[in-house]
Amino acid sequence: MNQHALPRWVVIVVTLAAVVWLIPVLWMVSLSLQPNDLLSRTTANTFLGLVPVPFTLDNFQAILSIGDTPRWFLNSMLVAGSSTFLVLVTSTMAGYAFARIRFTGRSIVYPLVLAGLMVPEQVVFIPLYVMFADWNAHNSLPTLALPRVALPIGVFLMTQFFKDIPDSLEEAARLEGCGHGRIFWSIMLPLAKPMMMTLAIITFLYSWNDYLWPLVSAQRTDFFTITVGLAKIQGNFAQSQGLGQLMASGVLASLPVIILFLIFQKYILRGIALSTDK
Amino acid sequence: MRLSSFLQSDNFSGWAFILPYLIAFVPLLLWPFFQGFWMSMHEWNLLAVTFNPSAKEFIGAGNYVRLMGADNLGWSLQPMWPFRLIVTALIIALYVRSLRGKTADGISHHFIAGIAVFTTVVLLGLTGDWYDTRFWIVVRNTLVFVAWVVPVTTTIALLLAIALNREGRWAATLRSVFFFSQILSVTVVTLIWQLVYGARNGFIANLLAPFGIESPNWLTDDQLAMGAIVAATVWWSVGFALILFLAGLQQIPGERLEAATLDGAEGWRKIIQIIVPSIIRTVQFVMIMQIVLHFQVFGQSQLMTQGGPGDATNVWVRYIYQTAFRDSEVGYASAMATVLFAFMMLFSLIQFWVTKRQES
Repeated sequence: MNQHALPRWVVIVVTLAAVVWLIPVLWMVSLSLQPNDLLSRTTANTFLGLVPVPFTLDNFQAILSIGDTPRWFLNSMLVAGSSTFLVLVTSTMAGYAFARIRFTGRSIVYPLVLAGLMVPEQVVFIPLYVMFADWNAHNSLPTLALPRVALPIGVFLMTQFFKDIPDSLEEAARLEGCGHGRIFWSIMLPLAKPMMMTLAIITFLYSWNDYLWPLVSAQRTDFFTITVGLAKIQGNFAQSQGLGQLMASGVLASLPVIILFLIFQKYILRGIALSTDK
Repeated sequence: MRLSSFLQSDNFSGWAFILPYLIAFVPLLLWPFFQGFWMSMHEWNLLAVTFNPSAKEFIGAGNYVRLMGADNLGWSLQPMWPFRLIVTALIIALYVRSLRGKTADGISHHFIAGIAVFTTVVLLGLTGDWYDTRFWIVVRNTLVFVAWVVPVTTTIALLLAIALNREGRWAATLRSVFFFSQILSVTVVTLIWQLVYGARNGFIANLLAPFGIESPNWLTDDQLAMGAIVAATVWWSVGFALILFLAGLQQIPGERLEAATLDGAEGWRKIIQIIVPSIIRTVQFVMIMQIVLHFQVFGQSQLMTQGGPGDATNVWVRYIYQTAFRDSEVGYASAMATVLFAFMMLFSLIQFWVTKRQES
């Protein structure tokens, strides 16, 4: 860390930039808390609209009681939650095997999995779409959740983690005759908890924010995730019944990630730093 | 007895442990990857094939030939071409000079020169029609998008990282603020920015109103739309680069900064002479990461401008999406996706090659 004091003008400029950076989000939150009929006249009521006066919770009440938003929110929760769970299970197991078990074929399979890191969603989404269409499996929550489980980033992170664990920790259990299942469950997993936490949070974030795959896979509105649902209602932007409700949907769609960010910021930052460290 | 010893063996355990992952990996990533390549060699209409599975026809490289638009090949000098020529020549001259000065660290100079020429050619040079097929328009738009977003994001993030690489509550709070926008989904980002840009009730329009200035229609003006999307994207992605730069700055030994300060290096000179060369590898890495990432831009174009006006902000992935899901031509779309992948691989290889050269 650099301990030298910054010139005052730098402090001022950077602080101002931070305020400007926050304005769009603050504005969204503030508009979501103002009455719809006011917003149809002006979006700059108090302090350019940045202060929600007059204040109302009607918009949130409206989107939660009518329309598809609660359903989409639930879908997103289920999809992001289940893909996070599956990623954790598959990648801790595979990571342990790639890092600590010498088995025939490891030197072929692991590089193949790593090569998968290079393949972005945009390159495989058409064949995936055709494949799930052949199985008549579109418009279902498992179809929305599963493709994320195939992404190798979790396996990569867990393998790197397990590789760094000193052999001595495993040795004692080995001598007592423990098999890999036992070592994995009672020695490795407890050690891996912080890493699993990091992986879980970034997987949930990316899954919650995913747009392309749910857009092509979910055609029926009751299988939309919140990202696709929000995209759909902003499509009718001009004739939407209310700006306030639209903004409230935006706030609702961001709520889980904002909460995750506020509580687990450290894990998110670590996850990004690690997952780019190929 | 033999069975139980097999169950105890490393071979069995190894495969048993990776099996759950492979069940997802093989059919949902490995197979679609090759399948995409296979599809790209077919005349494959989604609707036709749905009704009659044999309606696909193998055409080999046909889709690729169609993509390259060779029968529409055209070339013309762009407006202001002498100016563009001078700028490009200037960059090359600077590059040659820097090579003569420092051959040991030459590879960074190669990289900088490459980026500079790339930026110049795209931004200043070939802004007209390359070929008159739509594909080349969206490729050009994607390149323009990347050529704006990456340098701007990198510069802002680097300056912020240098300013915020310190202890204390002020720096910590601001780091969170700049990182925060990164975690929002593309649909929320576009929702917010569509409203910010709104001609009637937008935030910018509200700001300008007291001065009697009428806000331009940012998203429907073909001169401004791409810039508007770029600005929103920079806002969204600075946090990501910032985090990586902060991690890079932590690696600089404190004494080096100390020594520079004692030598009287101040402000800009310190940044340019000491800090930037120390983290030049991180800068390269972050830029390549961003190039690969932003080549895949889709949501901003799809949601903010629907690719418009005309095709002014239509981008590569959106064109793939349209071709596959509006025109049902999944074979042709797969060919575009394959070329996109080749492009991204090229940048990943450059990164790999650069790191390799630096390490040896």
